[in-house]
Amino acid sequence: MSQLELRDIRKTYPGALDETLKGINIDIASGEFLTLVGPSGCGKSTLMNSIAGLESITGGSIVVEGKDISTMEPKVRDIAMVFQSYALYPTMSVRENIAFGLKIRGMPKDEIQQEVERVADLLQISALLDKKPARLSGGQQQRVAMGRALARKPKIYLFDEPLSNLDAKLRVEMRTEIKKLHQRLKTTIVYVTHDQIEAMTLADRIAVLKDGELQQLGTPKEVYDTPENLFVAGFMGSPSMSFINVTVEQEGPGLVVNVEGSDGRKLALPVPDYLQGWVGKQVVLGIRPEHISQPDEQKRDSEMVAEARFTVEVTEPTGPDILAVIRLNNVDVQCRLDAEHPVNWGEEAELMFDMRKVVFFDPDSEKRIRP
Amino acid sequence: MTDIVRTGFRPSRIAIYGVLLLACLVYLVPLIVMLITSFKTPMDIRSGNLLALPTDWTTIGWTKAWSEACTGVQCEGVKGYFWNSFKMTVPAVMISTLLGAFNGYVLSKWKFKGSDLLFGMLLFGCFVPFQVVLLPMAATLGKLGMANTTAGLVLVHVIYGVAFTTLFFRNYYVAIPDALVKAARLDGAGFFTIFFRIFLPMSTPIFMVSLIWQFTQIWNDFLFGVVFASGDSQPITVALNNLVNTSTGVKEYNVDMAAAMIAALPTLVVYIVAGKYFIRGLTAGSVKG
Repeated sequence: MSQLELRDIRKTYPGALDETLKGINIDIASGEFLTLVGPSGCGKSTLMNSIAGLESITGGSIVVEGKDISTMEPKVRDIAMVFQSYALYPTMSVRENIAFGLKIRGMPKDEIQQEVERVADLLQISALLDKKPARLSGGQQQRVAMGRALARKPKIYLFDEPLSNLDAKLRVEMRTEIKKLHQRLKTTIVYVTHDQIEAMTLADRIAVLKDGELQQLGTPKEVYDTPENLFVAGFMGSPSMSFINVTVEQEGPGLVVNVEGSDGRKLALPVPDYLQGWVGKQVVLGIRPEHISQPDEQKRDSEMVAEARFTVEVTEPTGPDILAVIRLNNVDVQCRLDAEHPVNWGEEAELMFDMRKVVFFDPDSEKRIRP
Repeated sequence: MTDIVRTGFRPSRIAIYGVLLLACLVYLVPLIVMLITSFKTPMDIRSGNLLALPTDWTTIGWTKAWSEACTGVQCEGVKGYFWNSFKMTVPAVMISTLLGAFNGYVLSKWKFKGSDLLFGMLLFGCFVPFQVVLLPMAATLGKLGMANTTAGLVLVHVIYGVAFTTLFFRNYYVAIPDALVKAARLDGAGFFTIFFRIFLPMSTPIFMVSLIWQFTQIWNDFLFGVVFASGDSQPITVALNNLVNTSTGVKEYNVDMAAAMIAALPTLVVYIVAGKYFIRGLTAGSVKG
């Protein structure tokens, strides 16, 4: 049974011409970790606030465990939220911060005490209980904010970009910790982020939003490997997918697209048969950096592989591998090369194009061409 | 830690301190003159230098000002009026400050249609001169049956002060993240719980600003006091004026000065006690974290 159903959620701010949310439909299962991802202004925070009841919706319904809560006050929805700015009560100690919600709900004192200690143990903040938030580091404040959410054992947890204010190292640590916590507690979580790596690593499923519309809803693998449209393809993955305008051509029994390097060298790349209907027409080839690498003996037997030498324009060593930029059909294309075989910029490199996982888009509708 | 290297006294330093010292003196001279004159005998005042110390230190000016000097027809000193001022100032300051805090909370965190307009209009209240509201206020107090009462005076000061206190608190609360209200709402707290349990406890600095500002304004007010209060309910500022203007025989400057000091002391004490918060409150919001 789904824990949270968003049915055709619509929201128009008073006085605004455009809808902020244009009919969002998402079902979230009990214990599922769903991330809402999208660029700023895509409506993800509005959607989050609507679920929490902090903002009203203008259409659709929000259903929790079969009950429509769309018009209920936030306090009766049994939903907890962790904020980007932590939003800890500055005049209260950590203990009081965690206990505040319990006290207001009239929980007996000894039970509050127990609950605070349970949460503090869980998040390893027992030593901080009597300190004021201002005396804690960003990471500790984040833990307290999570503790406050955990204390009520609500039905649903909402995380609104909780890691954005932390420095890079701490962010990765806390990410792992949130994932561990979720695996242990099996709670239902809706997590908003604009960081696609956070979305990929944490989520059971990802919902990609743009301009108030759901672009794609699927597992991280689905979203990464089979993006619905150009936007999703470009948004997910770092470095992002390269898009090359190509024309599908018939060559012998198979189909190919031709690409041309900056030095005028041409290469015919084999493409799958489902593009039969596109022969002679333009399509957008979406190719991820890892699809272009140094030649690999094992892949060579496949029919969907092509090799050629291209001039490397820029190299960016990342440690485990080197990101190289080549130019194909006048666009920059990123390749992921093995750091063991360094290439310098301006030099030619032997590259292998693995066409098994590339995707194609209709240049007009920007939708992925399905097999 | 800042590592400022002390390079000893350079001429520029000496010049700066010299100018500052001079400015201090200029500002202090009136106070010094008042203070030493209040401890002089009338003889001493007439014969001596204005800045000279008293030849015989005496508190007769103070005791006389407190309980014997004539303020018009009565000759009971200023003590009654001193307490009048307290009876008017303390409730007026507390009520206007609390109202301001509440208004500020609503106007910054619970915005409604037209709330910004309302705030803008409220700001006009800060620029309305006292004189403009005299007649309408007098009419209102008359209709309410509060003319010539301390309660009426309190009401006038609350109404006049609320524009300022609202401005203080609204600007203080606007810098506090909205997420705090959201978090509290999800925790189950309502409108008033959030105000009393979360916002009021963190308002100490701006509370002090409002307190000092309102106390100084209301305590020092003369115009409202002279217009809206009469006889027994008059505040000390009015009594001081009457005392100085009551001329029977020789002018007793020592009594005048002592009375003026008495009238000025409470605001001084308030500033000394709460002053450190005043600076902190005024700069709050400019520094984050």
